[in-house]
Amino acid sequence: MAVKIRLRRMGQKKAPFYRIIVADSRSPRDGRFIEEIGTYDPNTDPSTFKINEELAKKWLANGAQPTEQVAKLFKVAGIEK
Amino acid sequence: MEKIFEQALLYDFYGELLTEHQRNIYEDAVFHDMSLGEIAEEKGISRQGVHDLIKRCDKILQDYESKLHLVERFEKAKAKIGEIVALTQCEETADGKAVDNAVVIRKIETEETETQYAERMKKICELSQELMKEW
Repeated sequence: MAVKIRLRRMGQKKAPFYRIIVADSRSPRDGRFIEEIGTYDPNTDPSTFKINEELAKKWLANGAQPTEQVAKLFKVAGIEK
Repeated sequence: MEKIFEQALLYDFYGELLTEHQRNIYEDAVFHDMSLGEIAEEKGISRQGVHDLIKRCDKILQDYESKLHLVERFEKAKAKIGEIVALTQCEETADGKAVDNAVVIRKIETEETETQYAERMKKICELSQELMKEW
Protein backbone atom coordinates (compact mmCIF):
# COMPACT_ATOMS: atom_id res chain seq x y z
CA MET A 1 0.00 0.00 0.00
CA ALA A 2 1.50 3.23 -1.11
CA VAL A 3 1.22 6.04 1.37
CA LYS A 4 1.38 9.64 0.28
CA ILE A 5 1.79 12.92 2.06
CA ARG A 6 -0.27 15.52 0.27
CA LEU A 7 -2.11 18.77 0.63
CA ARG A 8 -5.85 18.72 0.98
CA ARG A 9 -7.77 21.86 0.34
CA MET A 10 -10.07 23.08 3.08
CA GLY A 11 -11.47 26.50 3.77
CA GLN A 12 -14.02 28.56 1.95
CA LYS A 13 -14.26 29.62 -1.62
CA LYS A 14 -11.68 32.30 -2.37
CA ALA A 15 -9.86 31.59 0.87
CA PRO A 16 -7.99 28.38 0.25
CA PHE A 17 -6.42 26.72 3.20
CA TYR A 18 -4.69 23.37 3.21
CA ARG A 19 -4.11 20.50 5.53
CA ILE A 20 -1.03 18.40 5.13
CA ILE A 21 -2.23 14.84 5.41
CA VAL A 22 -0.90 11.34 5.23
CA ALA A 23 -3.20 9.13 3.19
CA ASP A 24 -3.39 5.98 1.16
CA SER A 25 -2.61 6.81 -2.47
CA ARG A 26 -5.80 5.05 -3.52
CA SER A 27 -8.11 7.35 -1.56
CA PRO A 28 -7.15 10.86 -2.62
CA ARG A 29 -10.67 12.13 -2.85
CA ASP A 30 -12.91 10.30 -0.43
CA GLY A 31 -11.87 12.30 2.61
CA ARG A 32 -10.23 9.47 4.47
CA PHE A 33 -6.74 10.00 5.71
CA ILE A 34 -4.41 8.28 8.12
CA GLU A 35 -3.06 11.27 9.94
CA GLU A 36 -2.94 15.05 9.75
CA ILE A 37 0.59 16.30 10.20
CA GLY A 38 0.22 20.02 9.58
CA THR A 39 -1.48 22.96 7.93
CA TYR A 40 -0.60 25.43 5.23
CA ASP A 41 -2.22 28.84 4.92
CA PRO A 42 -1.28 30.84 1.83
CA ASN A 43 -3.74 33.64 2.66
CA THR A 44 -1.34 35.40 4.96
CA ASP A 45 1.61 37.36 3.67
CA PRO A 46 4.05 35.65 3.77
CA SER A 47 2.22 32.34 3.79
CA THR A 48 2.35 30.38 7.00
CA PHE A 49 2.53 26.71 7.66
CA LYS A 50 2.73 24.43 10.62
CA ILE A 51 4.25 21.00 10.41
CA ASN A 52 4.59 18.44 13.14
CA GLU A 53 8.21 17.65 12.44
CA GLU A 54 8.28 14.44 14.44
CA LEU A 55 5.35 12.94 12.55
CA ALA A 56 6.64 14.16 9.21
CA LYS A 57 9.99 12.50 9.81
CA LYS A 58 8.34 9.34 11.01
CA TRP A 59 6.24 9.04 7.87
CA LEU A 60 9.12 9.88 5.57
CA ALA A 61 11.22 7.22 7.27
CA ASN A 62 8.37 4.77 6.74
CA GLY A 63 8.49 5.44 3.02
CA ALA A 64 5.58 7.83 2.63
CA GLN A 65 5.91 9.79 -0.60
CA PRO A 66 5.38 13.56 -0.35
CA THR A 67 3.86 15.33 -3.37
CA GLU A 68 5.81 18.10 -5.05
CA GLN A 69 3.96 20.79 -3.12
CA VAL A 70 4.51 19.10 0.21
CA ALA A 71 8.17 18.42 -0.60
CA LYS A 72 8.58 22.15 -1.18
CA LEU A 73 7.08 22.93 2.21
CA PHE A 74 9.27 20.35 3.89
CA LYS A 75 12.31 21.90 2.28
CA VAL A 76 11.38 25.34 3.61
CA ALA A 77 10.77 23.81 7.03
CA GLY A 78 14.11 22.03 6.86
CA ILE A 79 12.65 18.56 7.20
CA GLU A 80 14.58 15.76 5.64
CA LYS A 81 14.45 12.05 5.91
CA MET B 1 2.27 33.84 -4.82
CA GLU B 2 2.51 30.07 -4.75
CA LYS B 3 1.27 28.37 -7.85
CA ILE B 4 -1.25 26.09 -6.19
CA PHE B 5 -2.74 29.07 -4.36
CA GLU B 6 -2.96 31.11 -7.54
CA GLN B 7 -4.57 28.21 -9.37
CA ALA B 8 -7.05 27.68 -6.55
CA LEU B 9 -8.07 31.34 -6.53
CA LEU B 10 -8.44 31.52 -10.29
CA TYR B 11 -10.50 28.36 -10.17
CA ASP B 12 -12.76 29.78 -7.45
CA PHE B 13 -13.52 32.76 -9.63
CA TYR B 14 -13.67 31.33 -13.13
CA GLY B 15 -13.85 27.57 -12.61
CA GLU B 16 -17.46 27.32 -13.67
CA LEU B 17 -16.51 28.52 -17.11
CA LEU B 18 -14.54 25.34 -17.70
CA THR B 19 -16.16 22.18 -19.01
CA GLU B 20 -17.10 19.47 -16.56
CA HIS B 21 -14.27 17.23 -17.72
CA GLN B 22 -11.76 20.04 -17.30
CA ARG B 23 -13.15 20.88 -13.87
CA ASN B 24 -12.86 17.28 -12.67
CA ILE B 25 -9.23 16.98 -13.61
CA TYR B 26 -8.29 20.47 -12.50
CA GLU B 27 -9.88 19.89 -9.11
CA ASP B 28 -7.99 16.64 -8.66
CA ALA B 29 -4.75 18.46 -9.37
CA VAL B 30 -5.38 21.68 -7.46
CA PHE B 31 -7.66 20.67 -4.59
CA HIS B 32 -6.46 17.15 -3.93
CA ASP B 33 -2.83 17.63 -4.90
CA MET B 34 -2.84 14.52 -7.10
CA SER B 35 0.07 13.93 -9.44
CA LEU B 36 -0.29 13.80 -13.21
CA GLY B 37 0.39 10.07 -13.14
CA GLU B 38 -2.32 9.41 -10.58
CA ILE B 39 -4.92 11.41 -12.49
CA ALA B 40 -3.92 9.81 -15.78
CA GLU B 41 -4.25 6.31 -14.39
CA GLU B 42 -7.62 7.02 -12.85
CA LYS B 43 -9.16 8.70 -15.87
CA GLY B 44 -7.63 6.29 -18.36
CA ILE B 45 -5.84 8.96 -20.35
CA SER B 46 -2.15 9.56 -20.88
CA ARG B 47 0.02 11.49 -18.48
CA GLN B 48 0.81 13.90 -21.30
CA GLY B 49 -2.90 14.37 -21.87
CA VAL B 50 -3.45 15.37 -18.26
CA HIS B 51 -0.49 17.72 -18.39
CA ASP B 52 -1.78 19.42 -21.53
CA LEU B 53 -5.26 19.73 -20.10
CA ILE B 54 -4.05 21.37 -16.91
CA LYS B 55 -1.81 23.73 -18.85
CA ARG B 56 -4.72 24.62 -21.10
CA CYS B 57 -6.99 25.25 -18.11
CA ASP B 58 -4.32 27.46 -16.53
CA LYS B 59 -4.22 29.49 -19.70
CA ILE B 60 -8.01 29.73 -20.02
CA LEU B 61 -8.35 30.91 -16.41
CA GLN B 62 -5.49 33.37 -16.81
CA ASP B 63 -7.08 34.78 -19.94
CA TYR B 64 -10.30 35.44 -18.04
CA GLU B 65 -8.29 37.12 -15.30
CA SER B 66 -6.44 39.34 -17.77
CA LYS B 67 -9.79 40.54 -19.09
CA LEU B 68 -11.89 40.68 -15.94
CA HIS B 69 -9.32 41.22 -13.17
CA LEU B 70 -11.60 39.75 -10.52
CA VAL B 71 -8.80 38.12 -8.54
CA GLU B 72 -6.74 41.29 -8.65
CA ARG B 73 -9.66 43.37 -7.41
CA PHE B 74 -10.38 40.80 -4.76
CA GLU B 75 -6.81 40.88 -3.48
CA LYS B 76 -6.83 44.67 -3.36
CA ALA B 77 -10.13 44.81 -1.51
CA LYS B 78 -8.88 42.16 0.88
CA ALA B 79 -5.77 44.18 1.70
CA LYS B 80 -7.79 47.34 2.30
CA ILE B 81 -10.30 45.59 4.48
CA GLY B 82 -7.48 44.06 6.45
CA GLU B 83 -6.22 47.55 7.15
CA ILE B 84 -9.65 48.79 8.21
CA VAL B 85 -10.08 45.87 10.54
CA ALA B 86 -6.64 46.42 12.03
CA LEU B 87 -7.32 50.13 12.52
CA THR B 88 -10.61 49.61 14.26
CA GLN B 89 -9.33 47.06 16.71
CA CYS B 90 -8.03 48.15 20.08
CA GLU B 91 -4.53 47.23 21.01
CA GLU B 92 -3.88 45.41 24.24
CA THR B 93 -1.14 47.00 26.25
CA ALA B 94 1.13 45.27 28.71
CA ASP B 95 -1.13 46.01 31.69
CA GLY B 96 -4.07 44.48 29.84
CA LYS B 97 -5.82 47.79 29.32
CA ALA B 98 -7.29 48.35 25.88
CA VAL B 99 -5.90 51.49 24.34
CA ASP B 100 -7.17 53.04 21.17
CA ASN B 101 -5.45 56.19 20.00
CA ALA B 102 -8.36 57.08 17.77
CA VAL B 103 -10.71 57.07 20.75
CA VAL B 104 -8.69 59.78 22.42
CA ILE B 105 -8.64 61.94 19.33
CA ARG B 106 -12.36 61.57 18.71
CA LYS B 107 -13.23 62.36 22.27
CA ILE B 108 -11.53 65.70 21.95
CA GLU B 109 -13.23 66.51 18.66
CA THR B 110 -16.77 65.37 19.37
CA GLU B 111 -19.22 64.65 22.16
CA GLU B 112 -19.35 60.98 21.23
CA THR B 113 -19.03 58.69 24.21
CA GLU B 114 -16.57 55.91 24.27
CA THR B 115 -19.34 53.32 24.12
CA GLN B 116 -20.92 54.94 21.07
CA TYR B 117 -17.57 55.18 19.45
CA ALA B 118 -16.80 51.57 20.16
CA GLU B 119 -20.12 50.53 18.70
CA ARG B 120 -19.53 52.50 15.56
CA MET B 121 -16.11 51.02 15.16
CA LYS B 122 -17.51 47.55 15.69
CA LYS B 123 -20.03 48.22 12.96
CA ILE B 124 -17.27 49.23 10.57
CA CYS B 125 -15.48 46.07 11.43
CA GLU B 126 -18.57 43.93 10.82
CA LEU B 127 -19.33 45.66 7.56
CA SER B 128 -15.83 45.17 6.32
CA GLN B 129 -15.96 41.54 7.14
CA GLU B 130 -19.33 41.14 5.46
CA LEU B 131 -17.98 42.80 2.36
CA MET B 132 -15.13 40.33 2.43
CA LYS B 133 -17.56 37.41 2.55
CA GLU B 134 -19.63 38.78 -0.33
CA TRP B 135 -16.57 38.64 -2.51
